[in-house]
Amino acid sequence: MPEIDLSLHVNGRKVTRRVDPGARLLDFLRDDLNLTGTKEGCGAGECGTCSVFVDGKLVKSCLMPAAKAQGTEIETVEGLARPGELEAIQKAFHKTGASQCGYCIPGMVMAATSVLREAPEASMEEIKERMGGNICRCTGYSKIIEAVALARDVVTGRATPDALEPERVGDSFIGSNVRRLDAPSKVTGRLKYAGDMVMPDMLHMAVLRSPHAHAEIVSIDTSEAEAMDGVACAITASDVPGTDGFGVFVHDQPIMARGKVRHVGEAVAAVAAENEVTARKALAKIRVEYRELPGLYDPEDALADSAPVIHDYAPDNVVKHIPLRKGDIDKGFAEAHLILEDEFATQQVEHAYLEPEAGLAYVDADDVVTVISPSQNITHHRHMLSEIIAKPINKVRFIMSPVGGGFGGKEDMIYQGMLALAAMKTYRPVRLVFTREESIIASAKRHPSRVRYRMGLTNDGRITAIKFEMLSDGGAYGMSSEGVMRKAAILSCGPYEVDNIQVDTRVVYTNNTPSGAFRTFGGMQAQFATESMMDIAAERLGLDPFEIRRINMMRAGSLTHTQQELKSASIDRVLAEAEKASRWEAGPAGMRGPERGDLGGPGTRAPCTLGARFESKAEKKGRVA
Amino acid sequence: MQRKMRGRGIAASWYGIARTATVDRAGAWAELDDGGTAKVVTGVTEIGEGILTVLAQIAAEETGVRPEDVTIGDNDTARSPEAAHAGATRQTYMIGNSVALACREARDKLFAEIAEHWEVEAATLVAFDGELRAEGTNLAMSMTEAVDICKKRGVVPVGSGHFTSHGTGLDPEDGSGRPWQAYVFGTQVAEVEVDTVTGEVQVLGIWAAHDVGRAINPRGVEGQIEGGVVQGLGQALMEDYQTVDGHTTTHGFAKYILPTSLDVPEITSILVEDPDPLSPLGAKGIGEPALVPTAPAIMNAIHDAVGVRIKSLPASPEKVLAALAEKEAREAQKPAAE
Repeated sequence: MPEIDLSLHVNGRKVTRRVDPGARLLDFLRDDLNLTGTKEGCGAGECGTCSVFVDGKLVKSCLMPAAKAQGTEIETVEGLARPGELEAIQKAFHKTGASQCGYCIPGMVMAATSVLREAPEASMEEIKERMGGNICRCTGYSKIIEAVALARDVVTGRATPDALEPERVGDSFIGSNVRRLDAPSKVTGRLKYAGDMVMPDMLHMAVLRSPHAHAEIVSIDTSEAEAMDGVACAITASDVPGTDGFGVFVHDQPIMARGKVRHVGEAVAAVAAENEVTARKALAKIRVEYRELPGLYDPEDALADSAPVIHDYAPDNVVKHIPLRKGDIDKGFAEAHLILEDEFATQQVEHAYLEPEAGLAYVDADDVVTVISPSQNITHHRHMLSEIIAKPINKVRFIMSPVGGGFGGKEDMIYQGMLALAAMKTYRPVRLVFTREESIIASAKRHPSRVRYRMGLTNDGRITAIKFEMLSDGGAYGMSSEGVMRKAAILSCGPYEVDNIQVDTRVVYTNNTPSGAFRTFGGMQAQFATESMMDIAAERLGLDPFEIRRINMMRAGSLTHTQQELKSASIDRVLAEAEKASRWEAGPAGMRGPERGDLGGPGTRAPCTLGARFESKAEKKGRVA
Repeated sequence: MQRKMRGRGIAASWYGIARTATVDRAGAWAELDDGGTAKVVTGVTEIGEGILTVLAQIAAEETGVRPEDVTIGDNDTARSPEAAHAGATRQTYMIGNSVALACREARDKLFAEIAEHWEVEAATLVAFDGELRAEGTNLAMSMTEAVDICKKRGVVPVGSGHFTSHGTGLDPEDGSGRPWQAYVFGTQVAEVEVDTVTGEVQVLGIWAAHDVGRAINPRGVEGQIEGGVVQGLGQALMEDYQTVDGHTTTHGFAKYILPTSLDVPEITSILVEDPDPLSPLGAKGIGEPALVPTAPAIMNAIHDAVGVRIKSLPASPEKVLAALAEKEAREAQKPAAE
C-alpha cells in the first residue's frame, strides 16, 4: 500500500506520521494519534460528532482526507483546555447539564467554541443556526443551547465567571441540581466508549450481511477469506458450540444466520483480521449461495392463510397476541349516545443514538469469555451467551461500556455473540465497530403500528366502551415484540377509567428490519390513538379537551384496564399544572375563533425562518471582533 | 385562511415504572470508605440519563458524605451485584432504592460504633455533607474521622441492599393483573404554526407536566423531558424509517431526518411530585413517559390550527398539504350538497 508522509500541527504540537493516503482525517486522529475525543457518528458529514478545527475553521473530519491536512494546524476537543482544566464553554456544559450520553458532546463543544470565536455576540437564534450541523439524540438541545448562551455571556462579560460555578446545595442532596459527575470526561472527550478502546494484539471484525430479505442459505464457503494474509479467522453459525438463539422474550435469532436469512442486513458470517481494511476485503472472498424465498413486507399479508412462514415455530407468523377484557363492551356501546370509529398508524422509527454499536471481546487468564459493549442488559446477555457458547455462567462476563445513547436499541444481543466466538477461536481480543449504515439495517426499530379504534361516549362526555385493536410489524425476529405488545395493551386506553373494554394487540413476523424496544415500548403508539380519539370526541361533543379528560380520568380507587386498583393517580394534578402553565384558553376544539389570546405568548419561540442574516451597520460596528 | 396558522393541542398520558408484569429486582453493595468517602457497587452504567449522578446523590444523602466523594462501581456481571437492564424507566426506582438500602445498612454500622464512642443514642446521629454530629450535643466530627474511628474499633462499615417491585403477570384470557406497583401520569400542551402553503409544521412551545414521584435531580429530570419531547417531535413530524421489499431506503442521516437545534420548541417542564409510598425514596421515573404525549399533542394542535387531523405519523409537509387539499375540496362541495 503506498503511503505518504504527513506533517502538521495537532493541538499545538508538531506531528509527523506516515499514513495511508486514503485515510480520513478522522481515522488519522483516532487511530494514529489516539485522539478518540473526536467521534465517528455517521461517516457522512451529517451528525457533527467528528468536528475539529482545521486552520481555525470548523470541519467535519470524516469528510476530509488526512492527506489534505498537510501543513495545517488541527485543534481537537482534547486541545481546548489544558489537561485537568475546563474552558468556559466546557464549564457551561457541565453547569447546565448539557451532556447526557455524551457521544455528540465533543462535537457540540467544538461547534459551540466556533460560535464563541466567530460570533461571540450571537443571539439565541444565531446560536441555534450555528449549532444546526450537530445532531444530539438525548438532550433535546435545550440545555446545550442554554450552555452556549451562558458561556457567551461569561466570555463577553455580560455575566461574571461565578455564573459557571455549581449551584449551592441546601440541606439535602436529594432535590438539588448536583452537576453530573461524568460531565468533565464527556466535555473533554476523555471518556472511552467501546469503539474507542484498544487492547494489545487486538483483531478487527467485519460482518458479512444478507443482501436478501428472505432466502435459504444453500452454502457458505469461507476458505478463501481465511487463507488471506492478515485474516485470523472467519466464523459462521456452524462455529456455535452451544444452543444458538437470543431474544428478549423468545430466543428465535441465531447469532449469525442459520440455514436462512430473514431480513436484509442480517449477519451471515464474520471475519477477524489484523486491521479493518483486511477484514472488509476478506468479506468479499466469502462465497454464499442463496435460494431466494417469497418475502412478507406487510403485517396484514403475514396473517393471510397462504402467507409464507418465516419461523417454523410460528406457522401463523404471530409473535404474540395480548388480549384485555374488562366489563361488557356490548352493554357499553349500547349505553353510548355517540360511537366513534377511526384508524391510526405510526411509522417505523430509528433510535439514531449517535454511538453506533461497538464491542470488544477477549478470553481472560481464567478462561472467562469477556465482552465489553454498550449493552443495555448485560445480565440477560450473560444468560443467553452462556447457553450459546456452552459455558457455565461464571465463565461468561459482560462489562457495560459507557452507552452513547440507547433508548432501547441496545437491548438486543445482535453482535456480542460474534465477538465472543471470534475471541474463543483466536484467543485474541477482537473489536467490532458498526458503520452507521450497518447500525441502521441491523438494529431494531420502533414497531410500526395500525390501530382500529371504536369508542362509545355519553352526551356528557363519559366513555362507555372502547374496542381497541393494534397490529404491529415485528419484522424478522421477535426481539422485544412480546413485551412491547403487552405494554401497548396495558396502557392502550390511556389514563382513563373505562368500564367496558376489549383490547387486542398483535405483532407478526415479516421480512422487514426487526422492530424491538424503543423508549415507551408500545406506549406511545397506543396512546397516540387514544389521545387523538379524545380530541375527536371532545370536538363532536362540544367539550374542552381538558374537560373531557377530567370527566374520564383515573382516580384513587379506579380500576385500570388490567383491573388493578390504583392507590393514587396524579393525572388530575398534571392536567391542572399543564393547563395553568400554558395559560390554556378554555373552549371546545375549533371553536375558539380568531379572537383568542393564548397564542404566541410566554413559553413559545419565534418561528424559524432560515435565510440571510441582515444586520445594520451600527450593529456590525458594535460587534466584538 | 392565512398562510401561517397557529394552534394548540393537549395530550395526557400514563406509564408504569420498572419491568412490566413481572417481579423486578436489583441489588447493591455499599462501603463507607477511608477519607470520608463511599464506595457503591451495583450493576449500572450511564446510558446518558444521569443515573450515576442520581445514585451518588442518594448515597451521599444516606451516608453523610458528599456526592463527589462517592465512587460508583461499573456494570460488570463478574464484579457487581445484579441490577439488570438499563431500560423500562427502572434505574432510579429499582437501583436508586437498592443503593439507598445498602447505604443505610453501612451507615447504621458506622453510627452504632460512633454512638458507643460518644456514649450517645445512635438515633441522635446525623450526617450530612461530610460531617457527623449528635443532635442536642456539641459533638461533631468529619466523616473521615468517623470512618477512621469505626475501623479502629474493628468494624468495616459495609452494607448491602436489594429492592423489589412486585408486579404480576397478566391473565392469558382477560389480561387482568397488576403489571406495576408504581404509575406516573403526564400532560403536554403543544403550540404549533402550520404553513398552509408548504405544509410545514413548526412546534413553537411545549408545556410538559409530569409526575416523577420525587425529583432527585430536577435539572436532570428536565433534561429527560426535553430529550423525550424532541424525540416525540421527531416522530410526530419528520422521522420515517422506510423499506421497499425489506430494503431500507433511509440508510443514513441524509435520508433519515432527525430534529436539529432549529426544530426545538421552547420547552417548559413542570415537575409534579406524587411520592411512591412503596419505596424508601418515593421517586418514580421519567425516561420513557416524557415522550408519550408529545406526538398526539402536536397532532391535536395541528387540528386546532388548520382543522385537519393527521392520523398517520409522521405529519410530513406532504401529508399536511394533502389533508388541507382534501378539506378544501370537501368544503367546496358542501354548499352544492345542501
